[in-house]
Amino acid sequence: MKLLLIEDDAQTAAYIVRGFEEHGHTVDHAKTGRDGLFLAGSENYDVLIVDRMLPGMDGLSIVKMLRSTEINTPVIFLTTMGGIEDRVIGLESGADDYLVKPFAFSELMARVHALARRPPLSRTQTVLRVGDLELDLLKRKVRRGADIIDLQAREFALLEFLMQRAGQVVTRTMLLEGVWNFHFDPKTNIVETHMSRLRSKVDKGRGPALIHTIRGSGYSIHAPTESH
Amino acid sequence: MLLRNLTRTTSFRLVLLYVLVFSASVLALASLTYFVATSALDQQIRARIQAESDGLRDEFMSGGLTRLMGAVEERRRGRLRDGLVYSIFDAGGHRLFGTLPASSLIEGWSEVRGPPDGDEPEGETERLAVLGLKLPGNDWVLVADDIGRVSVLGQVVLRAFGVVVLLSVTIAIIGGVVISLGFLRQVEAISNTAEAIIAGDLRRRIPLRSGGDELDRLAATLNRMLDRISDLMESLRQVSNDIAHDLRTPLGRLRQDLEEVRRLPRASGDYERAIDQAIAESDDILETFGALLRIAQIESGSRKSGFRTVDLSELVEQIAETYRPVAEDEGRTLVAAAASGVLIEGDRELLAQMIINLVENAIAHTRAGTTIELLLERVGKEGVLSVSDNGPGVPPEELQNIFKRFYRLEPSRGAPGNGLGLSLVDAIAGLHGLAIEACGRAPGLRVGLRFKLADMAAAAG
Repeated sequence: MKLLLIEDDAQTAAYIVRGFEEHGHTVDHAKTGRDGLFLAGSENYDVLIVDRMLPGMDGLSIVKMLRSTEINTPVIFLTTMGGIEDRVIGLESGADDYLVKPFAFSELMARVHALARRPPLSRTQTVLRVGDLELDLLKRKVRRGADIIDLQAREFALLEFLMQRAGQVVTRTMLLEGVWNFHFDPKTNIVETHMSRLRSKVDKGRGPALIHTIRGSGYSIHAPTESH
Repeated sequence: MLLRNLTRTTSFRLVLLYVLVFSASVLALASLTYFVATSALDQQIRARIQAESDGLRDEFMSGGLTRLMGAVEERRRGRLRDGLVYSIFDAGGHRLFGTLPASSLIEGWSEVRGPPDGDEPEGETERLAVLGLKLPGNDWVLVADDIGRVSVLGQVVLRAFGVVVLLSVTIAIIGGVVISLGFLRQVEAISNTAEAIIAGDLRRRIPLRSGGDELDRLAATLNRMLDRISDLMESLRQVSNDIAHDLRTPLGRLRQDLEEVRRLPRASGDYERAIDQAIAESDDILETFGALLRIAQIESGSRKSGFRTVDLSELVEQIAETYRPVAEDEGRTLVAAAASGVLIEGDRELLAQMIINLVENAIAHTRAGTTIELLLERVGKEGVLSVSDNGPGVPPEELQNIFKRFYRLEPSRGAPGNGLGLSLVDAIAGLHGLAIEACGRAPGLRVGLRFKLADMAAAAG
């Protein structure tokens, strides 16, 4: 991936740049909003990582300006402001995701991957497939091979979220936000509880496991032959 | 200095303005009275002269000059003239009778100044209004009267009003000074109190007088505001203390652990474990910080702007569905029942967190085998959301403390958690105007939230 990071804090920037470069990605770093806007307009990036609070031109204005000039590169905001109002304002300005500092690097990595690989919205696809697992969005039925798997509503939503991002890492907070619409962190690990129930229904005694735990990051669903 | 302050007070200025308006109106009244009185007197005098002149002409017509002279003489002798002055001239302009000068031989009204006769103000000459009448045969008869009385009356009127104005202005200014001094004293008291507070004496309050006027009411309001501010400061101080204590402890522990890892030679696996532990500890600290910030943000009330109508019934169902397996994994049973269609104006996210914190609190502070009830009921015109358990409960004397920040019951001190979960519940309930109550059960704890049910018709419209 080729990424642009617009961030004024040198330490945070170094941490992010190093992290992505270790995984073989290219990161351009702009210290000010003006430089960032120029780079975003002149190069092709997969994802823009933008700090919301920047000296001079702030993150909101940058994204608004990009969107008004038809530059639709996915944007993820980094912010120290965790209020729901701030998140709503951020997303309304045209950003695609929102991450509150401090964050684990694996969280940022997973979200950037998700944004970069986001497929064009196709409404025609009504059946999701991973290996021999099939999820029918219209009939709301799940089958593995010949067996019909009976899932509860929340488990179905969880599986759908995973399968739409098959092959990618999905973090706990992504699941909390996407499946439960919770933008805070409950103390008990509800994701783990529901995931283990889902796994016991989908994977247990049904051949090779499809749902995998990625240590320190989250979960991923993929067929045995693919690697994530 | 005091005088300058005095003349600057609003009340003093108001008094001055009042005096000015009052004086102007008295002046207007005085001039009106002056003109009405003097013109009435003037007319009266002239009417008398006219009547006398007509009478004398009748005397002349019936008996000629001789008869006229007789009539005038008679009037003089018989004191009938009553202040009137007569003069008769013949056709050649020779004075036959009286003292009026020949210069006033003008037909109709004229005015003559004569020597003072004692009834006029000092330094002024006698003023006479003269009516000249030319008789047939060109003889003249003049009748005159002292018109100076008119101006004397006018002066009396003006003097009387002048005294009134002077008196009332004096009284008004004295009154104004007295009122303003009282006002000034109270303002000084408020200002002194403010200065004392600025200087650091936060317990000072404005002394109240018994009067209960608007300044006293203002002072009472200011005192209440100061009470509120000092309450807030107290809670802020409390929070700072809490932070100092409850965050220093884990930070100190983190530092201690890191130092120990650094000091002792270890295998590389030990380092990994130590770093993982340090990350976990700093995550806990960050979480505590986050919770404190969140509580502060909620208590500031700014999130009220994002309120929408929330289907509480649906939210309770969703949380119950999510937490039933969690409780089951922990060996508890979660029983939930929600009356349908209960709507509330609020922030869905915060309401979710509130209910979740109550449920998680019940799971965390009970033993395996406990039953936890999550209920949403309609009771009359109220909605009641409650989370109860049949666990060990809370001692009655501690019930009032469980919503305090960082408060943790002795037995759970060692357990994970930061003691902010129920504070957050309390803050969210406060933001939404929910009445929160905690009470003991036999055995267990019940936390209830009561609220007025939204008018369904209004909510639909």
